[in-house]
Amino acid sequence: MISAYIPIAIFVVVATGFAIFTLVFTSLIHPEKYNKVKLEPYECGIEPATDARDRYSIRYYLIAMLFVIFDVETVFMFPWAVIFDQLLLFGLIEMMVFIFILVVGYYYAWQKGALEWV
Amino acid sequence: MNHYLSLILFLPLAGALLLLFVPKQNDDAIRWIANIVAGLGFVLSIPLWFWFNPQDPAFQFVERAPWIPSIGADYFLGVDGLSTLLILLTTLMGSIAVLSSWTAITERVKEYYVFLLVLQTGMLGAFMALDFLLFFLFWELMLVPMYFLIGIWGSANRLYSAIKFFLYTLAGSVVMLLGILALYFYNHSQTGVYSFDVTLFHTLNLPENLQWWLFLAFFLGFAIKVPMFPFHTWLPDAHTDAPTAGSVILAAVMLKMGTYGFLRFSLPILPEASRAFVPMMVVLCIIGIVYGALVALAQKDWKRLVAYSSVSHMAMVMLGMFALNPVGITGSIIQQLNHGISTGALFLLVGVVYERRHTREISEYGGLSKVMPAYAAVFLLMTMSSIGLPTLNGFIGELLILQGVFVANKIWAAFAASGVVLGAAYMLYLYQRTMFGKVDNPKNEHLADLGPREFATFAPLIALAIWIGLYPAPFLRRLDTSVQHIIARVSPQYNERAASAECVSVPTPELMAASPGGQFLAAAPCGPDGKPLTPAAAGAASAVPPPVPAATTGQVSSPQAAAQGAR
Amino acid sequence: MPPGISLSDFYYILPEIVLTAGALVLLVVDARLPRGSRALTWVTMAVLLATAVSLVPFRNTDVEVSQGLLAVDQFALFFKVVFLVAAAMTVLMSERYLQVEGASFGEYYFLILCSTLGMMIMAGSIDLISAFVGLETMAVSFYILAGFIKPNQRSNEAAVKYFLLGAFSLGILLYGMSILYGVSGTTNLRTMATVFVGHERNPLLVLAVILVVAGMEFKIAAVPFHMWAPDVYEGAPTPVTAFLSVGSKAASFAMLLRIFVEGLPSMDADWRLLFEMLAIVTMTVGNVAALTQSNLKRMLAYSSIAHAGYLLIGVVAGTPRGISAMLIYLLIYSFMQLGAFAVIVMMRRKDVVGDELKDLSGLYHRQPFAAFAMLVFMLSLGGIPPTAGFMGKLWLFGAAIDAGYVWLAVIGVLNSAVSLYYYLRIVVFMYLKKETIGSEPTLSPALTLTLGVAVAATLVLGVYPGLLFDLAEASARTLGASGVTAAIR
Repeated sequence: MISAYIPIAIFVVVATGFAIFTLVFTSLIHPEKYNKVKLEPYECGIEPATDARDRYSIRYYLIAMLFVIFDVETVFMFPWAVIFDQLLLFGLIEMMVFIFILVVGYYYAWQKGALEWV
Repeated sequence: MNHYLSLILFLPLAGALLLLFVPKQNDDAIRWIANIVAGLGFVLSIPLWFWFNPQDPAFQFVERAPWIPSIGADYFLGVDGLSTLLILLTTLMGSIAVLSSWTAITERVKEYYVFLLVLQTGMLGAFMALDFLLFFLFWELMLVPMYFLIGIWGSANRLYSAIKFFLYTLAGSVVMLLGILALYFYNHSQTGVYSFDVTLFHTLNLPENLQWWLFLAFFLGFAIKVPMFPFHTWLPDAHTDAPTAGSVILAAVMLKMGTYGFLRFSLPILPEASRAFVPMMVVLCIIGIVYGALVALAQKDWKRLVAYSSVSHMAMVMLGMFALNPVGITGSIIQQLNHGISTGALFLLVGVVYERRHTREISEYGGLSKVMPAYAAVFLLMTMSSIGLPTLNGFIGELLILQGVFVANKIWAAFAASGVVLGAAYMLYLYQRTMFGKVDNPKNEHLADLGPREFATFAPLIALAIWIGLYPAPFLRRLDTSVQHIIARVSPQYNERAASAECVSVPTPELMAASPGGQFLAAAPCGPDGKPLTPAAAGAASAVPPPVPAATTGQVSSPQAAAQGAR
Repeated sequence: MPPGISLSDFYYILPEIVLTAGALVLLVVDARLPRGSRALTWVTMAVLLATAVSLVPFRNTDVEVSQGLLAVDQFALFFKVVFLVAAAMTVLMSERYLQVEGASFGEYYFLILCSTLGMMIMAGSIDLISAFVGLETMAVSFYILAGFIKPNQRSNEAAVKYFLLGAFSLGILLYGMSILYGVSGTTNLRTMATVFVGHERNPLLVLAVILVVAGMEFKIAAVPFHMWAPDVYEGAPTPVTAFLSVGSKAASFAMLLRIFVEGLPSMDADWRLLFEMLAIVTMTVGNVAALTQSNLKRMLAYSSIAHAGYLLIGVVAGTPRGISAMLIYLLIYSFMQLGAFAVIVMMRRKDVVGDELKDLSGLYHRQPFAAFAMLVFMLSLGGIPPTAGFMGKLWLFGAAIDAGYVWLAVIGVLNSAVSLYYYLRIVVFMYLKKETIGSEPTLSPALTLTLGVAVAATLVLGVYPGLLFDLAEASARTLGASGVTAAIR
């Protein structure tokens, strides 16, 4: 029972050991020379134009959250679709109920002006 | 007639509810209603004195109805001689307290009377309840109104005193509640019945181990209320800061809850433990007697002095009770009444001068007998009653207690007697400082003497003091069966001997004074047919089966030996 | 229809379906109505009423739904009634508060309904999965509700604290649950109980018990997992605090009972010991900490911690009597706690926050009824007859004595004596002080109704609790009535 986990244990030890070894070994042998370019954040080879901590409109977050919510719900539909041939009508009704609840939420967000870009 | 007790019990509560509908500003109407209700309560309870049958050992005027059927709790009321007398004391003192507040309370009048009347119901209920849970309900019901009476209408340090009173009493009673629950479950394990019926508990024979714990639990609840020596510290504060009526009720009635609890619950339910704890109780009582008296002697505050005298007197009551013989217990009960009458009156008397001068410092007074002769006369009478002067009530109680204690143990009696002497000392010293001498404080020169209303509050107390002092037989007769019932449980050897001895009709003081040593104590009171009233006969008459003699009793030759043997 | 699911399953979860549908209707109505319309309060009340009515057909049923995901029995029913009553009282007291705070009604009521739904699922679940889903539904709703007053920093702080610690505790709970699943191979509590018989010494199981206990202790705010409670209770909107301290606590106790009494009866030696110690510590710490508080909501938070300790006594006893005592106490506790918070809601005016002890000063002269109500609640919380709190405590401590835990009962009653000190402080301010602060507090009809119901229930159940005792007894007997639990009892 426990012996089945031995390969995993070996893997964990080797992986950790490799990481530690690399870090320690390179820090021992590498030269320490810094310049301005080296310390800059690497951004697709282009020099950063402004500060990264800029202010976005709060609407971005709202839209992003709505997107995430409805996007994640889609995930539920994949397994449902896979076994739809077993669920048949029952499954269809269930999914309709599920989507209906989502639609109510969507409707609510819409009516409350969450989608309007002022 | 079936609901007679309920009527007495709920009349004050109904009065309180009625008061809620009277407009706040209408002070006089509120006072009239409260007085009428309280007076009516007393009048209503008077027939109890006549209708109560002293020969019937069972509880009388019994009312019983299911209350919480699923746990076996009943609405179960009933009285015996002990509770009859205490109920009468309560209704009397309640109406006196209400009457005495007419001019003393000028603000928040409505709430004041509501609280007083609710308190009255709580006290009456505790004396009437024969269901342990119901008893506890009323017992706790008293706390809240009293808390407000002290906290709102009290003097300088009222908040502190009120909360101290509340928490002390509560801490004791919650532990008692656990005792009640333990008893309840033990009873179920023995009889298979869920019940809080006290009469049923009176027939239980609990294992000694359990009895010990239960006794300690009950002790905490009742001893704090009495209050016995180490738990007495709430009392001087509460008494001192309470308004006059509050002190009167507190002293005259509420302290009796504790002693009543011992008599009704601890002794008959836990006889073996009661015997076993006699030494502890006696030591605490003796400390209480002497300590209370000595501290009273040193007081500068008039009310505090009376409060400490209460500690001493109540310790005396407890000592008589724990002599565990008929005379001692009878004396203990009589002394409870006496304490209610005399200490109640003393607090009223303090209230009278406090209302005029707004100070309780003894040094502020002096020579009052010249300014207020009637007041001084009443005060003298009550002082004498408190000291225990023959022909007044205090004498009867103290004599019976001393006799009971003497039979049990002569050394205890010596200590108890010292309490009587010290009692005389502090009371006479107080009297001397306040009443005699010159009127050297100009503020005292024009104090008004007792008015008719004030005199009306004292008149019944004076009458009672003299009545008990001269002719206590009616009181003693009513206590016979109650005391017998307790004795049958806690000291059955007295009843064994009673079978061979002649019976005594009533333990009058003359008879007791005439009987040398403990001879008289061996005799039981007479039943209706002139034969000695044994618990067996009592058991046949009531639902209570005859108690089983405790294992410790053998052929005991003297009460002293019995008390020793029980230890 | 797939195997294992039948139409009757949907019949048995009718109350939950009604509540969900009602919540959706509420959302739509809110979207259509002008902002701040008070009609929403009555829509919410109607939804709760409809849910309550839909409980009626199930008053005597005892079935398992969906292959043992949910149980529809009297135990669940009792709790569902408690939740609905608590939710209704919360809604009634919320209207005024939200108006004063200028917050919107719609989402608020929706979230209240959602958390109620979560609670109902928790009370009914006899499966770790459904229990956890219910718990999450409730918890997430409360995270948002705690921070509902957006401009208020305290409210935000409460939400963040509650969320972080809540998520943390859920992690611990889940870890314990996963071990239980790993050892037993099932998530169904009743099956689990039979699997575990004879495995009492398995160290993994002991670890799982400890983890689940820790996770649940967070939810019921028992010491030493109580640190979030005072901050969250103080910062959250007052009606939410009320609902949190009553509904969330009751639901967590229901789930706790399901897990330990139905799922782990064979491990009772372990969890009883744990709960015994936790009960002692919780009662004592809660009461002692409450002694020094000057903020009412914090004081009631600590008092509610102490009450969790009292309730744990019932778990320790573990007998039907102990469990019925818990049910009785939870219902009684709902009334007195919600009532007390309703008074604090009343104290919230435009110019006064009203949750400091001194704000109550002189309340008796300004609002005699509210002061009287608060007096009743304080006495009841302290366990003074003739209030319901006394009957509840009587039966809890009675159960402890009956089960042989006398010391637990002794500590319990001494604690309740201590607690009277701070409950009476509130009374002192209301009745014995005269100087007043701020504008006159007023009662709205809804608040009067809330207070009236709470006072009436507290007094009536205190004087005549017979019916409640019977109901609770019957409900407690259905918990784990069949199978291993019954055998072990």
